[in-house]
Amino acid sequence: MPEGLQEYQLHEINSRNGTKPATFALRRGIGHSIAQHGELFQGQIEDDSGALTRCLLSLPCRSLSSTAEFTPDDSGTVIVFPPHKTKAKTVVELTLAYFTAHPIGGVLHIRSSIPEAKGYGSSTADCVASVLSVADALHSRLSEEEIARLVVEAEVASDNFMFRSAVLFAHRNGIVLEDYGKDVPPLDVVGVDAAEDELVDTLRHPPAVYSWQQIQSFRTLSCALGRAIRTGDTCLLGRVATASARINEQFLPKPRFRELLNLAEQSGALGVSVAHSGTILSVLFDSRDPLLEQKRERLERGVDQLGITNTFRFRT
Amino acid sequence: MPLDAILKSYMPQLVPLEGHLTAAAFPLMKIFPAEFCLQRAKKEGWVNEQTLVVETSSGNLALGLAIVCKLLAHRLTIVSDYACDGFLRRRMEDMGATVEIVPAPLVVGGYQGARLQRLAEIRAETPDSWWLNQYDNSSNPAAYGQLAALLVKQLGTIDCLVGTVGSGGSVCGTTSYLRELFPEMITVGVDTFGSVLFGQPESPRTLRGLGNSILPKNLDHSLFDEIHWVSAAEAYTATRQLHRETSLFCGGTSGACWLVARSLAKRYPKARIVAIFPDDGYRYVDTIYNNDYLREHGLYLSSLPERPHEISSPLDAVSEWSRMSWGRRKLAEVVAPAFSEVV
Repeated sequence: MPEGLQEYQLHEINSRNGTKPATFALRRGIGHSIAQHGELFQGQIEDDSGALTRCLLSLPCRSLSSTAEFTPDDSGTVIVFPPHKTKAKTVVELTLAYFTAHPIGGVLHIRSSIPEAKGYGSSTADCVASVLSVADALHSRLSEEEIARLVVEAEVASDNFMFRSAVLFAHRNGIVLEDYGKDVPPLDVVGVDAAEDELVDTLRHPPAVYSWQQIQSFRTLSCALGRAIRTGDTCLLGRVATASARINEQFLPKPRFRELLNLAEQSGALGVSVAHSGTILSVLFDSRDPLLEQKRERLERGVDQLGITNTFRFRT
Repeated sequence: MPLDAILKSYMPQLVPLEGHLTAAAFPLMKIFPAEFCLQRAKKEGWVNEQTLVVETSSGNLALGLAIVCKLLAHRLTIVSDYACDGFLRRRMEDMGATVEIVPAPLVVGGYQGARLQRLAEIRAETPDSWWLNQYDNSSNPAAYGQLAALLVKQLGTIDCLVGTVGSGGSVCGTTSYLRELFPEMITVGVDTFGSVLFGQPESPRTLRGLGNSILPKNLDHSLFDEIHWVSAAEAYTATRQLHRETSLFCGGTSGACWLVARSLAKRYPKARIVAIFPDDGYRYVDTIYNNDYLREHGLYLSSLPERPHEISSPLDAVSEWSRMSWGRRKLAEVVAPAFSEVV
């Protein structure tokens, strides 16, 4: 721990939480985040007053992750490694400012297994891990809502896997529209990337301009989504994901979408979901399905025959 | 008055009936397309605060529009004919609508033609006017996203939808939204004899509130798997039986819909079936709910038929409940072969 940090700064940090001021030495903080494999749903819904809100629900992917390590100092500046993770730098600065007005800085190291610009939410994962590492360094805790607001402020648009339960997340406002109070039901996923060489920059890719008819469709889809998660209805969840993917195909087409959709149907999958800012596609199966192995093998044979080699399996 | 709160009071009750059949029973379904079409027109700039809203209807769409225009403070003129009963007219006028009744049918075009002619005159006199046009306005079917959302929220997967067809709005709209989730969902349309909607030659119709003498643009034939034709006597008897058995107090179209839906519930006992009941029974106290009226008009049946006549062409549907497999075909695909058979 670097020398020279003033104890009064720490008083202030702790008094924010309404606890009795106490002194701690700042420490090295660690934060961790899972990734996603595209979104099960993404759209725009209209509330009773006619206001439109963009929202999504991530397909969580726990086999990929990002870890951030934050070593605070009193330099007042933040240095990030690797240096191109500029959103992580921004979110660390925002988090420090959120906790204290005093010029704490530090060094952030990110280690991530998540590919970038494919739809895995790599930048959200980096940001979530970074926020958690800063909070840890300051002996503090943040609510999921606070993390979400900080991450969206840094990223403009983020994914929702900072929440433990499944939520319908307004990814450009940083607020939860609906908390389903449950996890996404257990899914076995075959992830497909039919555009290995393509990358999608979330901020450069313009948000989809949905027609008012499509916004009407999202009303039905979001109601079905809520029911599917609350009741653990994987079949309905697959239907919602497929319908959402079909609508969004118009705005960010996936290579071989039609063929993969047919394959999913023929193999008895629940449906497909896509990355709305990325290239990956997920074929969804019910983990509790006794015929899971046969169905998945049938799908993988078909994918292989399409000449797509880049696939990966995971369970939610 | 807050329109949203009033609209919520018109949301349908989802009533479980026999087997896995659920009725979506509306007090006045047509208030939803009326509201949705008007709001769309405002968003698209067709309607401002001064605009006169006009529509030709002798039924529930007119009443729904009168309610919405009252709550949104729009002027409204309804052009109607003899079929507009006094009860309906008084309710609309109570809420500030102007109701014009055309005195006589046109020689060519009938009452429908006379109504459209008067409507054209009003629109010529008042340039700042907007015609809702429920038959051809694509916002009418789009209004049923709300119903589709409610159904999936409450019931989950839906296997079969049954509804009476007049403008095509409710059944086609609800089907389109639900099929985005359930492409294999079976849609069953209920029509009546003498209606041209599904290929019958036009003739006077006793049963009102469904069927049509013209083909609305909002009717997409290729959405339907199966069509039934029901007579007034059958529909009214079913309406009364529905009331006797369940206490549901509905209009005649609901009875027609129930007759068909319960036969499907028997045929597919495991299927989740939804039947759309478009209105409540108050307008029909002196007619459908009056035994003397039914006997006088030969509309009283001692019992309902158990099952429909199975037919293979719309021309074979004559006077008793008939069922035909439609197979998601266009009208021409169904009618042209039928025509060649007749020739």
